[in-house]
Amino acid sequence: MSEATTAPPTATGEPPGRSWRTALRALELDTRLLGMVGALAVIWIFFNIVSGGNFLTPRNLWNLSVQSSSIAIMATGMVLIIVSRNIDLSVGSMLGLLGYTMAMVQVNWLPGVLGVSYHEPYIWIVAILVGLVMGALMGGVTGFIVSYGGVPSFIVTLGGLLVWRGVIFRYAQGQTLAPLNDTFQLFGGGPKGALGDVASWVIGLLACLGIVYTLWAGRRRKRRYGFPVRAMWAEVAVGVVGCVVVLIVVFVANSYAWPEALASQYAVEHGITEPPGGLIIPTGIAIPVVVMLGVGLVMTYIATRRRFGRYVYAIGGNPDAAELGGINVRRTIMLTFVLMGILAAISAAVQTARLNAAVTNLGVQNELDVISAAVIGGTSFAGGIGTIPGAILGAVVMQSLRSGMLLLNVDSPTQDIVVGCVLVAAVGFDSYVRRRSS
Amino acid sequence: MLNRRLLAVVGAAAIVVMACSSSASPSPSAAPSAAASVAAADCTVGVSWNNYQEERWAKWDEPAIKAALEAGGAKYISNDAKSSAETQASNVENLISQGANVVIVLAQDGTAIKPAVASAISNGVPVIAYDRLIEDPTALYITFDNKLVGKMQAEALLKVKDAGNFVVIKGNKADANADFLRAGMVEAGLPEAGASSDKLKNVGESYTDNWDPKNAQTSMEQFLTANNNKIDIAFVQNDGMAGGVIAALTAQGLQGKVPVSGQDGDAAALNRVALGTQTVDVWKDARLLGKAAGEAALALCADKNIKNAKSSLAPTVQFMSPGGNDMTSIFLTPQPITKDNLSVVLDAGWITKDVLCKDVTAGSVPGC
Repeated sequence: MSEATTAPPTATGEPPGRSWRTALRALELDTRLLGMVGALAVIWIFFNIVSGGNFLTPRNLWNLSVQSSSIAIMATGMVLIIVSRNIDLSVGSMLGLLGYTMAMVQVNWLPGVLGVSYHEPYIWIVAILVGLVMGALMGGVTGFIVSYGGVPSFIVTLGGLLVWRGVIFRYAQGQTLAPLNDTFQLFGGGPKGALGDVASWVIGLLACLGIVYTLWAGRRRKRRYGFPVRAMWAEVAVGVVGCVVVLIVVFVANSYAWPEALASQYAVEHGITEPPGGLIIPTGIAIPVVVMLGVGLVMTYIATRRRFGRYVYAIGGNPDAAELGGINVRRTIMLTFVLMGILAAISAAVQTARLNAAVTNLGVQNELDVISAAVIGGTSFAGGIGTIPGAILGAVVMQSLRSGMLLLNVDSPTQDIVVGCVLVAAVGFDSYVRRRSS
Repeated sequence: MLNRRLLAVVGAAAIVVMACSSSASPSPSAAPSAAASVAAADCTVGVSWNNYQEERWAKWDEPAIKAALEAGGAKYISNDAKSSAETQASNVENLISQGANVVIVLAQDGTAIKPAVASAISNGVPVIAYDRLIEDPTALYITFDNKLVGKMQAEALLKVKDAGNFVVIKGNKADANADFLRAGMVEAGLPEAGASSDKLKNVGESYTDNWDPKNAQTSMEQFLTANNNKIDIAFVQNDGMAGGVIAALTAQGLQGKVPVSGQDGDAAALNRVALGTQTVDVWKDARLLGKAAGEAALALCADKNIKNAKSSLAPTVQFMSPGGNDMTSIFLTPQPITKDNLSVVLDAGWITKDVLCKDVTAGSVPGC
């Protein structure tokens, strides 16, 4: 550790925790993200008390994670779109068309053309590839018209919302496609579409190693360029808290055991005699949640570490300066829409798999949920501001409200009213805080 | 600069013209024909569809109406409102301009269409409210009995299990049908919304925005969680939502153990009935509806007064609409499909055997 001796002046010398404010500053955490975690905690505790302890159960939290995943996946892409001062209203219709196409591939086209059953193991791969390519193309068309055609994204994607939905009605003709390929169904979660306990722990430990490595690598990089680094105690605290949170998540997912009926069915199928009290099979993290976390990681990497991501923020901050600074603004904007299309395809796979069916109104009004999630997560319509983890948290907050109210038997119109109020209040509060701090 | 702008305007106009011409709505050419009485032979029946893009109308309803009219020697004309209440109002006038003696309206909005309907009737053109209610007592209302659909759904489920915890997954709150269906369920012995009886305990009841299967799935997941899976019966109002509910049940290994209802005769739902995961699918054969409307139109061609024409119509009933109108109505009886009578949909040619019996063990249910 020769770097330590050549360390630039840092906060290392300060005694930890003179007051909680300085301690918090030493941790260099995103306070807005922390605020959201706090708000989420309040919501969760509130619902838990009101529902008589029904909310903070492994089962409900597991459900919540699956229910949030499809919106969260798209919200990560919406962040980049909104950050670059655009909007995409077509994601819901795009998701509907992509989901329907993926179902067509496995239910009608491949079995029809090749004469194979939809049970064949490779069918899901073809279906998802078709979806991803088509999503990229659809996003590309939108992005091309926005960036090279110079038509405002609001208009182009409003058109997209109508066109893609119209295409579905045209070629779906109201028909529901079901059931889907068995492997494809795993993308929707359900106890069978989850990792189980061993794999979940492995992923949890890998995530811990990842956190430690990221902190260490970040520290080294900052040293190399002579930037100030966090105090060592703060670094350790962040690492420990991060790891503990990850392990708690895995623990909660594993404490949700397979439903009795499924477990006894499994026991019969595998010739296991059921122990008294039933067979306990830990469910583990659901596959759609793994997909969502993977997407979140990749998108965070793209947004914060890749040139493309930094360009998006630069364009959002000041488009003219970005253009003058030599950034290919048009190409960058177009790529954000391509990325959005790909994410819509991933979400479409999750949603259709979860329903085990493709319906013509799949994804109706999802654009509003996705935009709300991004905005609750701190993305600013003024451009240049917004984070991927924030958007994911935003999606979880929205879904927590909906699921919590459903647990309490609150009807859908009331749910809409509450979610609408929270949306406005959250953004209002956020901009109030921001104005005061600046 | 001016030239470019002009070019853009011309281009846009060309696109609009092209789009309009592809919609195949004939321009009004014939003068309004207000001939006093028309023999069935030169009877023209106009149909105003609200959204012809949906599969059902082109595939089942229109051929049935056409066949009935052809059998009576009448002429068929139609146009499509593309889900716009405004367009539909002018479409109705357009049909009359084209010489329609009777107009059949599949209403986009039962209230917004009222002025157009009133003007048609005052011009001596009787109006048939097809499938959806139009709040005008002088129109003839032909539909499947929605209350009866709800009653049949509840009856079929209660036949399988008549006691325990139940949930009700209802359709869109803004759609009167959701409440008709719920009222029908009460007739079958289900407690009123939010209430419980000695044997049946209401543990969850929810409307579903847009009849969206995904929302229905989330509702069901939350009901299952809140009740620790102790749900014995799920009253679900249509097939799409039943799909979502059954997906939620499948995740808990409860598919086939909790009776679930639906309606519409969706191929996927009928397949679920054959598989045993859905208990009942109340089937409304759109062809019967089309035939009834076609025949009623022929009767009204011969005698414009609905009250006089009653004798030659299919049996009518008087229906008090939610808007307080005493409607002369023809209610068709839907058909509940369970695993015991799957042959009904097969014999009717509604569905093919390979679709109905996908993944079903051969011989496990009659019909497969």
